[in-house]
Amino acid sequence: MTRSVVQRDTLRGAKLIGAVAVVVALVTLPAYGDQYTLTTFIRTIYFGFLALSVGFLLGQGGMISLTQTAFFGISGYVVGLLGAERGVPFPIPELAGLALVAVTAFLFGLIVMRTHGIVLLMLTLALGQICWSFARQNTSVLHGWAGIRGIQPPSVLGLDLTQNATFYWMSLVIFGLGLLLLWRLVESPFGLALNGIRESPRRMSALGYPVFWLRVTAFVIAALYAGVGGILAAWSSGIVTPTALQLSRTIWILLIVILGGARYFWGPVLGAVIAVWLDVIISQLTPRYNTVIGIVFVVVILVAPNGILGVWERISAKRRRFREVAENEHAEALSTAPKARRRLSRAEED
Amino acid sequence: MDTRYVILVLNGLTQGAIFFVLGSGLTLAFGLMRIVNMSHGAFYLLGGYLGLATFRLTGSWTVAVVAAGLSIALLGLLLERGMLARVREGGDLSQTLLTIALSMIIADVALAIWGGHSLSIRSPAAISMPVTIFGITYPGFRYVLMAISVLIALLLWLILYRTRFGIAVRASVDDREIVSALGVRIDTVYSLMFMLSAFLGGVAGVLGGTYLQLSPGEDTTILTYSLVVVIVGGLGSLMGAVVSSLILGQILSFSLAYAPQMSMFLVFVPMAIVLAVRPEGLFGRRV
Amino acid sequence: MISHDAIKKTFAPLVAAGIIATPAAAFAADGTVTIGMLSAFTGAFASFGQLQKEGAVLALEQRDYKVAGKTIKIIYADDQLDNELAVTKAKQLVEQDKVDVITGLVSGDEGLSVGAYMKDKNIPVVPMYSASEDSTMREWYSFIVRPTWTGAQPMDVFGYWLAKVKGLKKIYMIGEDYSYPYNQAGGFKRGFLRGGGVEVKTIWHAVPTSDYSSIIASIPLGGKYDAVLYNGAGSDAVAFVKQYVEFGMQNRIPLFGQSNTFEKPDLDSMPQEIVGAYSAHLTADDLNTPNWNKFRDAFKKRWNHSPSAASEFAYGSMELILRAIEARKGDVADKAALVAAMRSVDMSDEPRGPVKLDDYNAAIENVYIRQVALGSDGVMYNKGLFTAKNVSQFGPYDPKVYMKQPADGRTNPPDLRVEMPPEMLQVARDYEFVPFGK
Repeated sequence: MTRSVVQRDTLRGAKLIGAVAVVVALVTLPAYGDQYTLTTFIRTIYFGFLALSVGFLLGQGGMISLTQTAFFGISGYVVGLLGAERGVPFPIPELAGLALVAVTAFLFGLIVMRTHGIVLLMLTLALGQICWSFARQNTSVLHGWAGIRGIQPPSVLGLDLTQNATFYWMSLVIFGLGLLLLWRLVESPFGLALNGIRESPRRMSALGYPVFWLRVTAFVIAALYAGVGGILAAWSSGIVTPTALQLSRTIWILLIVILGGARYFWGPVLGAVIAVWLDVIISQLTPRYNTVIGIVFVVVILVAPNGILGVWERISAKRRRFREVAENEHAEALSTAPKARRRLSRAEED
Repeated sequence: MDTRYVILVLNGLTQGAIFFVLGSGLTLAFGLMRIVNMSHGAFYLLGGYLGLATFRLTGSWTVAVVAAGLSIALLGLLLERGMLARVREGGDLSQTLLTIALSMIIADVALAIWGGHSLSIRSPAAISMPVTIFGITYPGFRYVLMAISVLIALLLWLILYRTRFGIAVRASVDDREIVSALGVRIDTVYSLMFMLSAFLGGVAGVLGGTYLQLSPGEDTTILTYSLVVVIVGGLGSLMGAVVSSLILGQILSFSLAYAPQMSMFLVFVPMAIVLAVRPEGLFGRRV
Repeated sequence: MISHDAIKKTFAPLVAAGIIATPAAAFAADGTVTIGMLSAFTGAFASFGQLQKEGAVLALEQRDYKVAGKTIKIIYADDQLDNELAVTKAKQLVEQDKVDVITGLVSGDEGLSVGAYMKDKNIPVVPMYSASEDSTMREWYSFIVRPTWTGAQPMDVFGYWLAKVKGLKKIYMIGEDYSYPYNQAGGFKRGFLRGGGVEVKTIWHAVPTSDYSSIIASIPLGGKYDAVLYNGAGSDAVAFVKQYVEFGMQNRIPLFGQSNTFEKPDLDSMPQEIVGAYSAHLTADDLNTPNWNKFRDAFKKRWNHSPSAASEFAYGSMELILRAIEARKGDVADKAALVAAMRSVDMSDEPRGPVKLDDYNAAIENVYIRQVALGSDGVMYNKGLFTAKNVSQFGPYDPKVYMKQPADGRTNPPDLRVEMPPEMLQVARDYEFVPFGK
């Protein structure tokens, strides 16, 4: 018994050391990474927000939404329209963008949040396409295909955000806060209720939970995450175009979430890191990078439907089970295995 | 009356015809298998290219249509058996995502083989002559397209309501367990349905490649329109596909005449209205 | 194709970020000059990216990728013609690959977006086919060198010719709704209305549109307009022209094209009923000059098909870059000096005709009026009819007057002669048309 407690403590210790190492490595990145590494990490962060948005709905609420990129685009467009084109000072365009995102998400949520599964997927796809086609074809305000150029990050607290490193640090801080907030949310009664809805909406409804409104709320929260990503993207790239809302982008983000592991809190983040870098590297190695990336996704979906974190969990569970079985060394080794697994899954949850 | 309106209606029917051939396959596969085949657009494009290759080889348009349909059906069979069936227990999402990844690959391979230039299949001279009916001259090939589409609709109806396969399909839509208990091999039904759907996608590719053109990007454009057909008509409903492709065709035709710069957006507006009022689509069942 | 170095370099950040914190190695490229070519190699415009690449590669291969003792390394970046991705890829070329020159660029918006990002980077940008005039006008800065064209440049000549020489009064124009066709329309309207035309009715359609039949059915007939001008290119042009002929419209009202409408290889996918259609561009398929013939033969030998304008422009732009590097004796550290060298490169032997640069680093060159013709081999081609020599991006206008006008857009300039600003209807000296080949 004591041994396994010690083991668990060392495991926790190792996890802590690992986490600290990652944080230190990320914070000090500008010291050793080159400019493009920073740019790519900034990209990872804003796509990370989008992935969190999709992943939160899918992983916590069991809702597949293809509208999230529209929210990413809406906030970007508002920042471009008010900030870059009309010179409205920070933070009004940004707040207005997020407000519009919240209102749109609320309205969309009223339409689609009574449906589930593949029907929800189709309806959110339809809504996303409406937003995209509007951005694409409205030339009088949104400039159609050309989009809005010349967006600049604001200067806040005397920080020069046009510097890659400063911008990176700022994005990192915002991302950290976003993660923390989301973590608290997932652990809160609201998050648990959402998990309940994911497993069985009917039962939650019978238990007296306002299922529909909980889902709408989750949809708005997720939309805000996409919206924050959209603002960072607009600041960073300096341009917002209908591509920000495009279906292929939405699908790419969905694949990212699956790649990392939709069921896991860190899945979308891990997926974003891997996918953005994969894209950067493979597109340099071969002009047929779409084929390669497509194959990677096919393999992941076929072999590891729970994503990389799913594979990781399977491997470490196997290893630990193996260790425990070895410890027992008795004939009942086989019968302990299920028990160990149960214990593991409990350990996993904390 | 101005003959222009008649022509606009005919144009709408032509576009509706191609949307139907595409959308019907998509919606039927959905009704049975609960998957949205996102590679349907890629099937269309690849079918068109294969049809073009066949046409160049044999010089026969009919052979091209059949060959493209059959090869895409075969591809569909391979993908369904080799991949989709493997992730079936993973749920709707895994299968849908798989078709997305597959569409990326198909479109990119097609680009590598046929290049980025716009290609098109020449319509057979015998049926492309303009035809004059009631003083209105209209390209003959477009009438052929409408006829083919009507024929396909009838055939699909016959298959669904007059064959053993159709009975199995309709029964499985209602209750999969009972069908299995009755001794029908559900896997075979799935494979046949996916093949049928892919066949229609391939045929649509040759039709579209003849009256429109084939180039990279067409796959996503056409997929978008087919999804609108499926969503507005109601997921899984053949009747819905008929009605919604007719509506979509007319909207597109008239918006191109009166507000061509907003045509795409105008297609999506009625979709939004339908969704707001009846999220399950015009002929869909409440889910 | 990709060197070991590139791979190492690519993985370096990963290694640095994830596994071991090694200091990013310095990748000083001694003996190499790096050129980044940003274009659409996949997606709906992959066709133009492919054509550009063929021209650029020919120029590089003719020198065996070596200039003034330096090895030329070219990095292709695919932006799918998406403006946002174009900026991202430009960042990659600048920050990671440390390119010495950026070239490529297919479309107008793409050129403007990349131009905006590159503004403070002090790296020469040489757009090959991107034709929005503002890249070398209202949004120009000294590091942009465009030895090719603006959208308005050939179209101003074309419009003027149709009105002045052919005596047309009213044109019905249907165009793709984005910046390059805006600029083509702008040039056309200025030239046509200045030459005596009365109206250019403008209709914009969404990109992409597949079925044009309803747009075509809405063209007013019965002599209300003298001709239809389709202001679109690529797959849209193939579909439009096909359907135009399918409805027998070519017998009722003649069809003209913008510069790219009838370009090869799209022309090969069009029906032969359009033989006789006019357009204007900076190349013609039957140019019979020694420079053109030499280029065409080399191109055909390398790629097994005839060159189109996009390939020739890419070849010429790459030549300009290589000659400038040569003039600098391989020293590309001083980018301003490299730009100065580009400005003074002699491009009088450019295959399509002599090219000079104006004060905004934009090309002054020949514009050819062309007509679709049927060759003796049964293949259609663009036959030259007339040449307007030394045409600038400002056409016959005074640059100061020209630049005061609002940028070309959906409704700028106006459709009607009566609404056109008077200063745009008057010029000191207009084009002279020389029979082609003279």
